[in-house]
Amino acid sequence: MQNVNLMAHRITVYSIIALLALPIMATFVYSLSSHWGASILPDGFTFKWYAELFSDSRFIAAFGRSLFVCVLALVLAMLLMLPTIFVVFYYFPQYDKVMNILILLPFAVPPVVSSVGLLQFYADSPFTMLGTPWILIGTYFTIALPFIYRAVSNSFIAINVKDLVDAAHLLGASTPKAFLFVILPNLKKGIMASMFLSFSFLLGEFVFANILVGTRYETLQVYLYNMRQTSGHFTSALVMTYFAFIFLCTWLGSRFSKGNLS
Amino acid sequence: MSYVQVKQLSKSFGKQRVFDAIDFTIDQGEFITLLGPSGCGKSTLLRCLAGLNPVDQGQIWVDGENITDLSPQEREMGMVFQSYALFPNMTVAENIGFGLKMKSTPAAQARSLIQRFVELVELKGKEDRYPHQLSGGQCQRVALARALVMQPRILLLDEPLSALDAKIRKSLRQQIRDIQTELNLTTVFVTHDQEEAMLMSDRIFLMHQGEIVQQGSPESIYTQPANEFVAGFMGHYNLLDKQVVKALFDLDSPHKVAVRPESIYVKEEGRQYEAHISSPKTAHVLNHQLLGNVIRYKVQIEQQEMTVDLLNRSSERLLPAGSRLELLFNLNEMQPVSP
Ligand SMILES: Nc1ncnc2c1ncn2[C@@H]1O[C@H](COP(=O)(O)OP(=O)(O)O)[C@@H](O)[C@H]1O
Ligand SMILES: [Mg+2]
Repeated sequence: MQNVNLMAHRITVYSIIALLALPIMATFVYSLSSHWGASILPDGFTFKWYAELFSDSRFIAAFGRSLFVCVLALVLAMLLMLPTIFVVFYYFPQYDKVMNILILLPFAVPPVVSSVGLLQFYADSPFTMLGTPWILIGTYFTIALPFIYRAVSNSFIAINVKDLVDAAHLLGASTPKAFLFVILPNLKKGIMASMFLSFSFLLGEFVFANILVGTRYETLQVYLYNMRQTSGHFTSALVMTYFAFIFLCTWLGSRFSKGNLS
Repeated sequence: MSYVQVKQLSKSFGKQRVFDAIDFTIDQGEFITLLGPSGCGKSTLLRCLAGLNPVDQGQIWVDGENITDLSPQEREMGMVFQSYALFPNMTVAENIGFGLKMKSTPAAQARSLIQRFVELVELKGKEDRYPHQLSGGQCQRVALARALVMQPRILLLDEPLSALDAKIRKSLRQQIRDIQTELNLTTVFVTHDQEEAMLMSDRIFLMHQGEIVQQGSPESIYTQPANEFVAGFMGHYNLLDKQVVKALFDLDSPHKVAVRPESIYVKEEGRQYEAHISSPKTAHVLNHQLLGNVIRYKVQIEQQEMTVDLLNRSSERLLPAGSRLELLFNLNEMQPVSP
């Protein structure tokens, strides 16, 4: 009885996975085929499209811009959040609940709405923000906060911050030293997990990138969108590369959050 | 003058008063236990001594120096936590050496100190293990070594044994006491376990709702409880109303009277008893608990229920419920206790 049930569950799960994987597999095959028109199977296979993609300087530049924007936003968010979470957990543990709600606020407003709001707000600011990477970095910074707060605060919960810092104090360490030597090394997992997960999320973010900056600072998402008119084989290769990269980041993130890597 | 003097110490969290104007002194090398039920303020008092909680009022003096306003870093106190509080990212040796590193002790000197204290707590060969590779008892010994290596003026222990299983607890409490005696360390130990307090301490400070209700040697606290709370906390004392004492023993007492369960005997036929032994009282057994070397009977004498501890001698059968007993009381051991 148990086994039959288990089998049924397995079959359901695997069929769903297969169904979801089908378009991805098709895209993958399409990106590798030289021509796939009227026939059931492609006429032949080639790496031509990938070669074309990786030799396109516009692609490389867009990829570089995306990396720059996402990494900078994440590093800034992490630098702000680590001391903040430490202060919450060591001095005001009762405010963890409040932080959990506050941190979700960027998600409460749909991106289309908040990007229009940002457009209006920064339209008549003394510095030009719109169309520069800085506004995107600022926006991504707020989007990354909930990911970082959740993952890092889980790492904090796993250790007894209060007693560890108290013990370090009694052994002569100042609070910054206690944080650096005793707390920070134990947050590695949470930091890595949240970095990779929010990175793969930000890399796929399109609405803010397109509305706030668009082609004036072409990031990977916007490049992908602008390339939609070219050969389907080429865009498939682009999508597959993109997908592989995000998959790698997500996988690394979940490996870290499960603690298989240390 | 005493080594440690605590004067009029008060502490509140917001509106909640934890303790108010506490006074006590501790001599050098003394082993003091703060004993009391959970929530009575033991940990808070200990953390105030360590400087981890600021005090509202009062002073703490150690060795003729007022340390009330010193930070925890400057107090030269060692502390062991119930949670061990070992640094998970550091090995045993690195944990023990952390305080030395903060003091910038020269490497060679630090190494030999770490070695000495690793041996003292019997963890030789485990220097390179991480805390998650150690048992609870081993963790707590690392925590002890980490505090001791700093040669603290006072060692503070907050329920260090409570998270351990019974067997480890027994051996570790002996080990702590031995090390404390060997190093002649002034020690304040916190526990809610009266057996632990009795076994380890030079003196016990018994706390109740933020007050030290009685202090003294384990023996004096056990045999002369100052009030009903102490009698209830220290053993399985029978508390008899003064009317019952008058009726049963024809004694006048201003308060309730505490009678230890082990000071009650079964009358042996044909034996002569001294004058301070009461006349025999007829009791009926209600139930019993087998505690190993002792059998604890719940009995009824007239309208009064009492607890009686009898040695578990193989020659005597367990008395079933309903059995009749002739019990004798030692009148010298009737302890009047204030409410
Ligand atoms: N950081 C704190 N904030 C507010 N109240 C506290 C804090 N620490 C302890 N208390 C309160 O002080 C009282 C004494 O606690 P504690 O010293 O931990 O007792 P014990 O160690 O004897 O169990 C308790 O009522 C507890 O709720
Ligand atoms: Mg406590």
